[in-house]
Amino acid sequence: MAEVISGPAPYIYVSTRLRVRKAKLLRAEEYHRMLNMSLPEITRYIEELEYKTEIDELAPSFSGVDLLEVALSWNLAKEFQRVLALTPGAMAGFTGAYLQRWDIANVLTVLRGRTQGFRPGKIKEVLIPAGSLDRAVLDRLVVEEAPDRIAEGLRGTHLYPVVERELSAGIESGNFARLENELYKEYYSDLIRVARSGVRGGNEFLQYIQLEIDITNMQNLWRLRSGGATGEIRDFMIPGGRIPVEELNRLGSAETTDEIVDALKKRTNIPALQDAIEELRCGCSVRQIETRLIRFKLEQMDRMSRRYPFSISPVLVYLERKYYEVYNLRAIARGKAANLAPERIQEHLVI
Amino acid sequence: MVDVGTAVMTVEMIQASQVGLKAVGAGLAVGLTGVGTGLAEMGIGAAAVGATAENRDMFGLALIFTVIPETIVIFGLVVALLLLF
Repeated sequence: MAEVISGPAPYIYVSTRLRVRKAKLLRAEEYHRMLNMSLPEITRYIEELEYKTEIDELAPSFSGVDLLEVALSWNLAKEFQRVLALTPGAMAGFTGAYLQRWDIANVLTVLRGRTQGFRPGKIKEVLIPAGSLDRAVLDRLVVEEAPDRIAEGLRGTHLYPVVERELSAGIESGNFARLENELYKEYYSDLIRVARSGVRGGNEFLQYIQLEIDITNMQNLWRLRSGGATGEIRDFMIPGGRIPVEELNRLGSAETTDEIVDALKKRTNIPALQDAIEELRCGCSVRQIETRLIRFKLEQMDRMSRRYPFSISPVLVYLERKYYEVYNLRAIARGKAANLAPERIQEHLVI
Repeated sequence: MVDVGTAVMTVEMIQASQVGLKAVGAGLAVGLTGVGTGLAEMGIGAAAVGATAENRDMFGLALIFTVIPETIVIFGLVVALLLLF
């Protein structure tokens, strides 16, 4: 029977479910408590939360920080697939398109892992099958020896045209950075196309994507500057945001941070984004600036989900928040395993 | 000359149509408030089912919230009864 979806009820249903799930995510004080725990204590602590099934299932095969890391990845993939399963109609289209970023991450992990000689089993541990390429497809890709065989395995998927175009250059240089950039550019242009396709709720989705593109471009700009890159940085920037690529390219060769901050502030009319840009004057490390930008992005996304309570926004906010929960738990686990001081670990958390 | 028989019939007809219009009014009062209640419950019900699916403890509270718009149709029913009796 054809699925009948009309009216606002499906949006209300899904938004409420994901709001309840968001409320169950870890709070700042819980992260602070975890910073003072040992690794086994952290494992036990999160076992009492949403990660119980994965930890129980993986405990016979892994231990210590590996157990935590693989359990977190599995939980993230499962959770994202569940969200995709419960979103109806146009929302499922937006959510599916948004989750395709995991396909890019997985394919690049497989390519890099195989060219660097890692065993398929080791690569499988770090894959997060949350996108359209499921575990069966990834299992098939991961056993392929040569990069061109991996690319062949992608035939018929949305990634194939870009992979086919850029792969040979990547193999020659031994570096897949350009392929990665091109895949992400294609991904964002696809998202913008989906948002502009006239489907209801597309406008909110577009705002969300543009915010993400702007923040990612700013992060890249700061990374490139700290890495000493001058001149043309156009290729590293994602088109489609509110701040044009030409402007970002010009700012890549700016002399001072103040110059960049002033120029970026002129380009935006969102007060919150202007405040976030103003904070970049702090003279902090690239890591701190990135954390600030991510924190701003999440706050802004929360604000959008309150402004449009029954739209795609609450779904995307949940996906992002969940990702950063796993990111924080992983940072704490890895930090603890490396015997870092809690203050050092805290710098890396997005709370 | 006025036809007396016709005049009596007209008064009866008017009285009958007044009763009919009361019934139509009562029907509209219940019907329209029923539609209003349905519209209000659509959103609340969807949210209630969503919240209960995530947390079963919400069931009681969600049910209470869902039936709050029933008051609208009860007002309609009261108006209908006042009209009819």
